[in-house]
Amino acid sequence: MLDLLQAVLDGLLFGTTYALIGIGFTLVFGVMHKLNMSYAAASVGGAYCGLLIMGLVQGAPPWTVFLAACLAGGVLGYLVYLTCFHFIPLASPLATLMSTVGMLLLIDEIIVHVTDGMPKNFPTMLDDEMLRVGEITLRGDLLLVFGVSVVCMAGLLALLYRTRLGLATRAVSQQPVAAQLCGIRVAQVNAATFVVTGLLGGIAGALIGASVGALSPLLTTPLTVKGLIVTVIGGLGSIPGAIIAGLLVGAFENLFQQFRGVTERDLYVMLLLFAFLVFRPGGLFAPKGGRD
Amino acid sequence: MDFYFGLAQIIGVHTLLGLSAYIVLLTGQVTLAQAGFFAIGAYVSAMLTVLAGWPIVAALGVGTLFGAGAACAVGFPALRVKGLMLVIATLAFGEGVRLFFFNFDYQVAKGQVKVGPVGGEGFRQIRYFPEHGWTTFDVMLFIWVFVVLIMAVLWWFDRSRYGAVLRAVGEDEIAAQSVGINLTAVKVSAMTIGGAIAGIGGGLYAHYTTHIEHSSFNILVATFAIAYPIVGGLASVFGTLAAVVFVQGFLIEGLRFLGDWRNLLFGALIVLAMNVRPRGLLDAPTLGRLGRFGRLFGGGR
Repeated sequence: MLDLLQAVLDGLLFGTTYALIGIGFTLVFGVMHKLNMSYAAASVGGAYCGLLIMGLVQGAPPWTVFLAACLAGGVLGYLVYLTCFHFIPLASPLATLMSTVGMLLLIDEIIVHVTDGMPKNFPTMLDDEMLRVGEITLRGDLLLVFGVSVVCMAGLLALLYRTRLGLATRAVSQQPVAAQLCGIRVAQVNAATFVVTGLLGGIAGALIGASVGALSPLLTTPLTVKGLIVTVIGGLGSIPGAIIAGLLVGAFENLFQQFRGVTERDLYVMLLLFAFLVFRPGGLFAPKGGRD
Repeated sequence: MDFYFGLAQIIGVHTLLGLSAYIVLLTGQVTLAQAGFFAIGAYVSAMLTVLAGWPIVAALGVGTLFGAGAACAVGFPALRVKGLMLVIATLAFGEGVRLFFFNFDYQVAKGQVKVGPVGGEGFRQIRYFPEHGWTTFDVMLFIWVFVVLIMAVLWWFDRSRYGAVLRAVGEDEIAAQSVGINLTAVKVSAMTIGGAIAGIGGGLYAHYTTHIEHSSFNILVATFAIAYPIVGGLASVFGTLAAVVFVQGFLIEGLRFLGDWRNLLFGALIVLAMNVRPRGLLDAPTLGRLGRFGRLFGGGR
């Protein structure tokens, strides 16, 4: 019983990174009704850039890597928007899907090329710290992941609901034409959404690096799949849904890793997704009146 | 010369993979499950020839049936969700199949060696072609017989009522439904045909490479499957063939002298191609122009 609780708690803490990646997918979908398949790859790419930038500055404290990764993620997000969305007409959804897949392959290959395919050590923080609550032990690095993720989500929600940019973003996601008639520059809002999701992605990539202890190009595919699963389970376009689904997938995955081993655990995550598709195809929080 | 025959084998099998996604894309659905059906066809037919000693054509037939059956089974629940949800659902199905074969052990002692699929190591010694003395040329011909047959069938579909129905659903589901087309039947049948084509392709793939493992059926393969028809354009089956020749012949073999940089160029070229030609390399206006061009030089009809 205790093992079970421990596995679920560890999974919940790590699940916050899945939630961040899921938010990135879902936010772009909410605003543009497009899937950005390269998002997880760009997030890992942002974390790599963070490492690279930190390598240039001698003696920088380890936490600066998060800042560098966040900024690099934002820049990457804008580049993805420019290359995969800006010049392609909105009427051809297949073309943007394919161009972001191309971008995924490109980012993946650039990472492999620059690092010779070897995993890179990522600075770990609070690695030896443990928080003991009765019989349960909480790993310090996972608590850090959890804390940073919660701060990021709070920041994102504040941005969406307390600023003019957030208001514009929500307006475009509800009715692009009406938003344009009110004088909102839709293209600018779209680009801003990509930058914001990129900033989040960079942090998510760095958090994953910090909790795993290393970055490797092998991370991108599983992260893409998990992020998309989280998006679907939460309901496409729903941010609270993505957060809850991220925690759910994290806990579920860790539970099955404990009992069925690491090679089989993803199989059960897929089954969870199919259960949702059959019994609740709209996800946990399906937005009303979707225009898919 | 064997090099070119080998390349033709690869192009043939990838054309089948692309065509399996092509027919589903015609109905406006994007599927990333084709690598899963490809894997099912490959494992089933390879197990039949290696473990049960079946002749190749019968084994391919059963592999095709399994691919079609799996596609039909996936089609019903998956088609309840639309558009981008389907992309993710099928992606998860494909990954699920791959993970299943990653955990799948079934070995039988045959003479001195044990044969059969072993989880992460994969399935070695699928030696039907070498054991029966087929040359590379024979194998290539065998593969292309299937490619030509399937392309002919799909080409004929495009001229039949069924093809028109497929495209009608792809263009506008509500309009198609309101003229009395049964959406579920059309989508599930397209998915089933796609699964069957992927199953044949997988069986052929397993036998010419002689070694398959779970990583031969990853997301990259599923991406390739939809990339061919989308890059080539959905206006005709020849778009898919053109894209396969462009990707496998030019990008992968033709640019081999670039070494590592080739892989970088691959993603970049897809991004560029979609920016320049969002409706595919061979889109409807281009095909029209090509047709006029052909008539000009063919003496006119």
